[in-house]
Amino acid sequence: MVNCSMKILVIEDEAGLRESIQKYLGYQGYICETANDFISAKEKIAQFAYDCIVVDIGLPHGSGIDLVKELKWMESKAGIIIISAKNSLEDKITGLESGSDDYLTKPFHLSELNARITAILRRRNFGGSKKIQFNELELDPEGKTVKMGEKTIDLTDKEYLLLEYFISNNRRVLTKAAIAEHVWGDEYVKVGDYDFIYTHIKNLRKKLIDAGGNDYIKTVHGSGYKLSDH
Amino acid sequence: MVCLFVLSAFYLFHQFSKGLDERSDKELIAEEFQWIEYLESAVANGTAYILRTGEVSISPVNAPVNPYPIISNVSGDNFQKRPDVSYRELRQVVPIQNIPYQIIIRKSQEQKSALVAGFTQIIILVFAILFLTALIFNWLISRRLWAPFQRSLHKIRTAELDKMKATRFEETNTTEFNELNASLNYMADKIYRDYVNMKEFTENAAHEMQTPIAVIQSKLELLLQDTNLTAEQTESVVQATGSLTRLAKLNEGLLFLAKIENNQYTSTHPVNISDTCQKYLSLFSELIKNKDLVVETFFEESFETMIHPLLADSLITNLLGNAVKYNYNGGVIKISTTKNKLEISNTSRLPAIESANLFKRFGMVRERSAESNGLGLAIVKKIADVNALDIAYSFNNGFHTFTITPKQSK
Repeated sequence: MVNCSMKILVIEDEAGLRESIQKYLGYQGYICETANDFISAKEKIAQFAYDCIVVDIGLPHGSGIDLVKELKWMESKAGIIIISAKNSLEDKITGLESGSDDYLTKPFHLSELNARITAILRRRNFGGSKKIQFNELELDPEGKTVKMGEKTIDLTDKEYLLLEYFISNNRRVLTKAAIAEHVWGDEYVKVGDYDFIYTHIKNLRKKLIDAGGNDYIKTVHGSGYKLSDH
Repeated sequence: MVCLFVLSAFYLFHQFSKGLDERSDKELIAEEFQWIEYLESAVANGTAYILRTGEVSISPVNAPVNPYPIISNVSGDNFQKRPDVSYRELRQVVPIQNIPYQIIIRKSQEQKSALVAGFTQIIILVFAILFLTALIFNWLISRRLWAPFQRSLHKIRTAELDKMKATRFEETNTTEFNELNASLNYMADKIYRDYVNMKEFTENAAHEMQTPIAVIQSKLELLLQDTNLTAEQTESVVQATGSLTRLAKLNEGLLFLAKIENNQYTSTHPVNISDTCQKYLSLFSELIKNKDLVVETFFEESFETMIHPLLADSLITNLLGNAVKYNYNGGVIKISTTKNKLEISNTSRLPAIESANLFKRFGMVRERSAESNGLGLAIVKKIADVNALDIAYSFNNGFHTFTITPKQSK
């Protein structure tokens, strides 16, 4: 995995959520530090360099938006994701205009946050390759193509998104709801019917096996699916 | 008032009639005097005088003398002539040169009847005019007088909760109405404040719930990663996650409703609803395919309306989402648009929706499946309301149909 030793700062005042994020990102190999209010966050930002910063808007003693502006003023190279309970268009625009790279509305799936962090880090990885390497698979996010060695595997858009989501959440159990929301969008969650996912995953697995790859995607009985490299 | 008019008319008529009688009585007496004077001279010549004409009858009688003349009304039977005419009759036995003479003088009342008839006509006319003008004036005055009241009444009738702030009952020239309007103003203010409080409460409650939901969801997601979980435990976690998702969506719906109510989505340019339908048909294609639904579209003309694009999206996702969700495998969805109509119908195993609960928040939760949060149609209705659209529901031949049309301007 590419994300080893990447440093992430999570600024969130709600202890439960902060710890969950820290734990999940830790599972995925990130070094994760936390701050629980505006002042301590500001201190940490000033002292250390981070690769990505996850910041809540509503913080004790200040607004997350001001932290984002501060980071921009410092010309920080860190990727920034705002997490907020506010989900209006205006809030999102304000957040993105302040200089953040992404905006995620609470409640969110940890797998979704992780996928977005991974995407931002990859985009910001100026020196290195923007491609995603997973064992013998090589994914090109720009062309949305997958190669196994020299052979290109022909995937549909949705299948590509599925695979990318699985890879960035390697070894984690992904619920059908989280998969549906990431790949097909929020509207599907509203309808609340995830049966169709099965067909897509079945097709994806078949294509990977047919290309001579391993069967990485496992069904976790009763809960969802999981990509596993061993 | 009519009673008063009738009474006064009667009184007037009575007075007039009395006046007329008095006058004719005086005439009768004066005439009698003349006759007596004449008789005195005529009888002095020694002749007995007898006179019988239609109006006067003078003859000597054997009867006691009357000190006063008797005046009465008689119908004309004594004097053959015209029995239908009534007379005023003076009757007196007067001693003339010691011979008692009976003098009867009659005056036809015909003239009086004519006068009375004329007078009655005039009175009726005058009173009718008086009555009518009184009515008209009364109406005019009361209309003027009650105008402020009517205005207030109209305002109360047309008052809407969310526009209550602008509802003001203005000062008038009448103290009573001022008191009434002041109370109404107070009431409107209170209703509006309560409404705003309630709305804010819903909004804040929903907002405050976001964070705990986020915490629970993240904890459940972490729990699910635990490989030591038994199948039973996993099942519990998944079920809890499902319920939590529902709660999150419900919360989102409530917040969305509050935002629509706060007019945070104002339309700037028209949106082609037909395009929106097509967009979501392709977005929902997975679900449609998975349920083997047959989609029939009739986009004859584009249905365009002034609406915020986000609201248009929500309107269509809710209607189309329901059409998919409550459909059965192999069912049908029909979508048709004309210049001013959008119709979405779908087959379903569910019975017709009771119209009373149709667009109510949580009105249908009990009847529908567990996936419903009970807000979808309330949101649809709210969006229609704020964008001057009418929404109607019908159930025909197994098809549930929602029709959206521009609101008919009244």
